[in-house]
Amino acid sequence: MLESVIINSRQHVGLQKVSALAGRFRSSIGPIKNYKFIQDEVSGESVLVCSCFRIIENLEPTCAVGQLVYETVQAHHKGYRSGSGCLLFLAGAWSRTALDCLQRGIAVTHIIKAMSEGIDICLDVCKKSSVLFKDIAGMHKRTATPQDLGLQLSEEAITNASKEAANVHDKCLNMSGQRRVKLSRHFCEAKSEMLSSALLPDLLELPDVAVLAESLSHGCEDAMKLAVEAVQMLSKMNQQDISDPSFDISKVQTCVLPGLPEDCACVVEGCVFLLSDEQARVAHRIKQQPLKVALVTGDLSQTYRHLGFKSLSGVGVCEHLDLSASSKEDEWLEKVVNRLLNLKVNLILTAGLASQKVIQHCCRHHILVVEKVNSSVLRIIASSTGAVPVSYATQLAEPCVGNGINVEIWRDLSSYERESSTAVNISNGRNGGLVTAVITSCIHGKLQALEDQFWACAYRLHHALKDRALLPGAGGTEVLCVHQLQKQAEYHRVEDSKTGSAANLYRGLVLQLMADGLIDYISAVMVSTGRFSAAEARTIVSKQLQDFHKDEIITGKFLQLILESRREDAVFSAGKPDEALTVKIYDNLSVKQEAWRKALDLVFLVLQTDAEIITGTGQRTEENLMRL
Amino acid sequence: MKLNSLLLMSRLVKKSPSVCTDLPLSSSDVCNKLHLMKEFLRSSYGPTARLKQVHNNIGGSVVTSSTSSVLLQAIASSQPIISLIRSSILNHVSRFSDCGLFAAVFCLCLLEQAGQCGLRKNVMIKVNKHLLALCTGYLQQEDCGCKVKLDFCSSQSLITLARSVISSKPTCVLTEPESDHISRVAVQAFLLTVPCNIPDTVRLGRTVTITIEGHSVLKSAVFPGLLLSMPENLCFDSLCSPLHVVLFSISLAGDLSEIGDGRIEMHQGVDVDSQILDQLLELGKQVLKDGVKLFLCQKVIHPVLQHYLRCNGVIVIERLGVSLMEPLIQLTGAQPVATLHATIPSTVYGKVHNVCIRQFGSKTMLHLHPAGETAICSMILCHRNETMLNELKLVCQTTELVLRLTLREPFALLGGGCTETHLAAYVRHKSKNEMSESTSVLGCSQTEYLLAAEAFCHSLELVATSLEHDGGTSLIDLTHAHHWTLPSDVTEEHLEGVMAPCGCGVVESCQNKTRSYLDTKYAGFSPAPLLTASPLQATVLDSFTAKVNALGVAVETANLVLDVRYVIQDVN
Repeated sequence: MLESVIINSRQHVGLQKVSALAGRFRSSIGPIKNYKFIQDEVSGESVLVCSCFRIIENLEPTCAVGQLVYETVQAHHKGYRSGSGCLLFLAGAWSRTALDCLQRGIAVTHIIKAMSEGIDICLDVCKKSSVLFKDIAGMHKRTATPQDLGLQLSEEAITNASKEAANVHDKCLNMSGQRRVKLSRHFCEAKSEMLSSALLPDLLELPDVAVLAESLSHGCEDAMKLAVEAVQMLSKMNQQDISDPSFDISKVQTCVLPGLPEDCACVVEGCVFLLSDEQARVAHRIKQQPLKVALVTGDLSQTYRHLGFKSLSGVGVCEHLDLSASSKEDEWLEKVVNRLLNLKVNLILTAGLASQKVIQHCCRHHILVVEKVNSSVLRIIASSTGAVPVSYATQLAEPCVGNGINVEIWRDLSSYERESSTAVNISNGRNGGLVTAVITSCIHGKLQALEDQFWACAYRLHHALKDRALLPGAGGTEVLCVHQLQKQAEYHRVEDSKTGSAANLYRGLVLQLMADGLIDYISAVMVSTGRFSAAEARTIVSKQLQDFHKDEIITGKFLQLILESRREDAVFSAGKPDEALTVKIYDNLSVKQEAWRKALDLVFLVLQTDAEIITGTGQRTEENLMRL
Repeated sequence: MKLNSLLLMSRLVKKSPSVCTDLPLSSSDVCNKLHLMKEFLRSSYGPTARLKQVHNNIGGSVVTSSTSSVLLQAIASSQPIISLIRSSILNHVSRFSDCGLFAAVFCLCLLEQAGQCGLRKNVMIKVNKHLLALCTGYLQQEDCGCKVKLDFCSSQSLITLARSVISSKPTCVLTEPESDHISRVAVQAFLLTVPCNIPDTVRLGRTVTITIEGHSVLKSAVFPGLLLSMPENLCFDSLCSPLHVVLFSISLAGDLSEIGDGRIEMHQGVDVDSQILDQLLELGKQVLKDGVKLFLCQKVIHPVLQHYLRCNGVIVIERLGVSLMEPLIQLTGAQPVATLHATIPSTVYGKVHNVCIRQFGSKTMLHLHPAGETAICSMILCHRNETMLNELKLVCQTTELVLRLTLREPFALLGGGCTETHLAAYVRHKSKNEMSESTSVLGCSQTEYLLAAEAFCHSLELVATSLEHDGGTSLIDLTHAHHWTLPSDVTEEHLEGVMAPCGCGVVESCQNKTRSYLDTKYAGFSPAPLLTASPLQATVLDSFTAKVNALGVAVETANLVLDVRYVIQDVN
C-alpha cells in the first residue's frame, strides 16, 4: 500500500513537524534543567525526566519525521551523552530557517548550498576559536593569585578570537592570499600546535583535570565531582603518563543504589554488586584475601546452551525413563562444584543468570556467585587477573582461573531497604582495573537523571581530553558564529548589488536566517537560566550584537554578562562566592561540532523529502493520503 | 474451525466470483493510480530529487531514499497493472542496478501519452515497437551522437561515470570533494576486482563493503584483501607466512540442527551433546596437527572448540555469514568443509599471506592479505549518519555494477537528460523522413503514425524534464539537441549570461545557438554530432548497457500494459 503525503512546498509539513517537536525542548536546554513528569495516559505510569534525550526517548514519536529525529538524537547520545538538547533545538531552529526560505520562494538546491556554506563558517569559527589546553593551563596559573585577572585574561582570549574571526573575512578579500594575519596565539595552525605539545610533553601546558571539570560542569557540580574522582582514580591505578592524560570511559561503571542519601555517592575501585543475605555471609567469610576467580559468559545452569545452539525437538528416548531431569541437574551441579573446589575458586562471576539452587549449593562450599555482571566488566577483569572467560562452567580448567582478586564488604544496606542486602566491592587493585561510580538517592525516580548527569560529565571530560581543546562556553562560540555569519551575509549582499549574479542571490539571506537560529538558541539558553524573560534576552543579545558589529573590542562584555549570570547561579548552589567567581565556562569542541552537523544533516534530509510511504496494513484516516 | 464445522454441521461458504475489469486503462481509478505513481517516481528522479520516507507508522525505523529498488519494494498495490509495472522494473534493477527510475518514469509517461493521444492501442504498440528498434539501432551505431567511447587508458571517464551515479542520489548529502573522493574509491575498488593475469576465462573478483557510521566520508577507503570483523580481545603472536586456513560452511555449534526434521530415537543414557563435542574436538586436533592457523566458520562454533583452538594459538572467527563465503573461497583458495564426520583432506586447506589488525572507529577488523594474485578487495564506507550511509552503500553497489558493465560494452551515454532530448529529436526527424515506408510496413495511417511518434518523443522529453524539481524550465538547443535547464529565478534577459553548460556538460553555453522550450513544438531537425578533435569531455555520463536495457524494458512493459484487455481478480 502506498499512502503518500504530497507536501505543499511552501508549507513543508516535515519541517514544521521538526520545528514543533524541537519546540517542546525549549525549556530543557542549557545548564539549568527542571524535572519533568511524562505520564502514559494508557497505563497511568509516569517517569521523572530531566535531560532532553530522556524526554524524547519517553515521548516515543511514531511519525516518520519524529522517528528520524529520535534516531539522530539516539546516535548522538550514544557517542557523546550530552548536547542532545543543542542538537534538537538547532534542528528546530534551522528547520524554521529552511521553512522561511521556502516561503520566500528560494529553491531547495539553493537553500542546501547556502546552509552548507553556513555550517562550514560555523565549524570554521569553532576550529579557530577553540582554546588549547596549554592556554587554559596558563590562565589557571595566573588566576591562582589575583582572582579577577583570570576573567580578564579569558576575555582577552575571546576578544582576540573575535578579532581573528573578523579577519578571516578580510583575508578572503586579500587577493594575494599569502599574508598570514596572526594576532593571537590561539590561531596558529591547530595541528602543528598539537603536534609540538605531543613532541615536547610539558607539564605546564596541561591543565589540571579539576580545573577543566569546573568549567565543563554546566550546572552539574556534584556529578562532575564524581567524574573527576573517577579520572583521578583511574590514572592513579593505571600509572598513566601524566603528559598524556586520557580518560578511558570503557573502564568506568555505574552502580545505582536506591535508598541512600545523595551525598553518599562516591567512586570506588573495582566494581560494586548487591548481594542477598546468603551471599553476603559467604562474602564476609572470604573478604580481604586474594581470591581465585572464574568468569563465565553464559548462564550457570545445566540447561544453558550457547547462542546459536539449536536444541532438538523430536528426540525420543527408548527404554525406560528413570533418569529424570532433576537428577541430571544434580549430577551437573556436583560436577561443577567439584571442579570449582579442585581449582580452589572462591568467586565466580557470570554474565548470565544463576539458578537459586546453584547459588545455594555454591554458598555451602563458600563459593560466591555473582550473576548479571556486565560483559565489559568481565572483559576488564579477565585482562587484569589473567582469567579466561568461558561459556560453560564445565569448561573451567586451571589456565582459565584468574588470581588476586579481593572482595570487600562495601556497605550494609539492610537499614535502608526492606529486603536486606549488602553491597560488596570486588577489585584487584592492580593495573588495568576499573572504577565504579556509585550513584545514590533516596528518591527512586531521580536515579536515572543522576546517572545520566554523571555520564554526561564523564563524557565531557573524556572528549575534552581527547580533543585537547575547548570552546568558549556560555554562548561565546555561538555569538562568534552569528557575527561571522552576518558578516558573510553582508558580504554576499554587497556582491549581489555589484554584479547582480544569480549565484549569490539568496546566500546572504539564508546565512542571515541561519544566524537568527543561533541567536534564538542563545536567548533560549538565557531564558532557561531563569534570570531573563524571552524579550529581555533577545534585546540583550541583539543589542550586544549591534555593539559587537560596531566595535568588536567589547565582545567581552557580552560574554561577561552571560558569565556573570552563570556565576550568580553558581553562588546560589555553591554558597562560596569567592570560589564561584573564578569559574569560567567552556564547551566541548567535538560535541558541539557534531551536534550542529547532525542537526543540519537532519534538516537537509527532511527538507528534501516530499512524501512518505506508509507500508503495512494499518488503517489510517488522514486527509492527504493517497492510495496506490 | 475446520474440525468444528465437520462435527456440528457442514457449512458451505460460497466462493465469491472473480471480478473482471474490462479495458482497465480506461478506468479512471487505474489512470489516477498510474498518474500518482508517475508523479511519485518522477519526483524521486535525478540529483536534485525529492526524497521519500518509508516507514510502517507504528514506530519502525525510517528509511529515507530516492533509489528505485527501495521505493518500488516499498510500494505494494492491489491494482495488478501497477504490480506488473513494479515487478518489471524491479527485475531490470536486480539485473542492471541502474536506470530503474528512468525505465519506470519513461514507461509511465508512455502510458499517459498513449491515453492522451487517443489512438487505437494496437497502433500505439506497433509504433512503439518500431521506434524502440529505431532508438536501439541508433544507439548501437558507431556515429551515434549521444554516445561516448570509454577510454580505459585513463581513469578519468570511469571516475566521471562513477560520480554521475553517486551524485544522482541526494540522500547521501555529499559535498563536491566528498563525491569526488567516493567516485575515486569506487573506481579503485572496481580496478582491484579485475584480475591482472588473465587466464582463459576472465573471472571478476568481489568487493566486500563494510560500513562505519559517524566518520567523515573522506575516510572511506579500499583495501586489497578481506577485512573480517574480529571477535573481542583477540591477540596473536607474530605468525609466519603463509598461514593455512580452514573454512567451514556447516554449523560447528555442537547441535544436530543440520540433520533435518524428523523424530530421533536414542538409547537412554546417551549424551548426544558431549558426543558431538568430542567429535568437534577430534576435528580441532586434526586441524591443529595439519598446522592450520586461521579457523573460519560461516556459522556458530562451539565455545569449547573455540577455547581449545585459541589456547593452541589459532585465530578463530565464527558467524561470518553466507555473503562472505564466496570472497573467502576466492581469496584463500580453501574449499568449504560441510561435514564433521570425516577426516579433512589436506586439499581443502587454503592459505593467506599474512594477517594484521586494523582499527576503523569503533570497529576492529582482521585484514587478510592474499597469498597470491587475487581480485578481492574490501571497501570501507564512512558517513555521518545511518540514513546517509545506507544510501551511500546502495549507490556504491550500483556504481560497482555499472563499472563492470563497461567491460562488456565500453561506452557511456551522455547524462543530464541530453541523451533523452537527443534521441527524441533523432526519432522525430527520422520518423518524419521515413514515414511512407514505415506506415506501409506498420499498416497504419500517416496521421496515426505521426501522433504515436509524437507521444513517444514527448515521453522521452518528459523524462529529461523530470530531472528538474525546483520549478526550472527545460530547453533544447536546435543544433545538437542537448538538454538545458533554465532556473526558475532567472529572467529571459539574463539567459545568455547565466546559462551553464548543457546537462551533460559537453556543449558550452557561449556557442551561439537557438534554443527552444521542450514543451513547445519546434521544427524537426537532424541533431548534429559534436565535431571536436579531442574526445568529448562530458561531466555527467550514464551507463550505456543499463540505459539501453531500461529503454527496452520501459517500452515493452508499456506495450504489455496497453495490450491488457481484461483484468480478472480472484477476490477470495
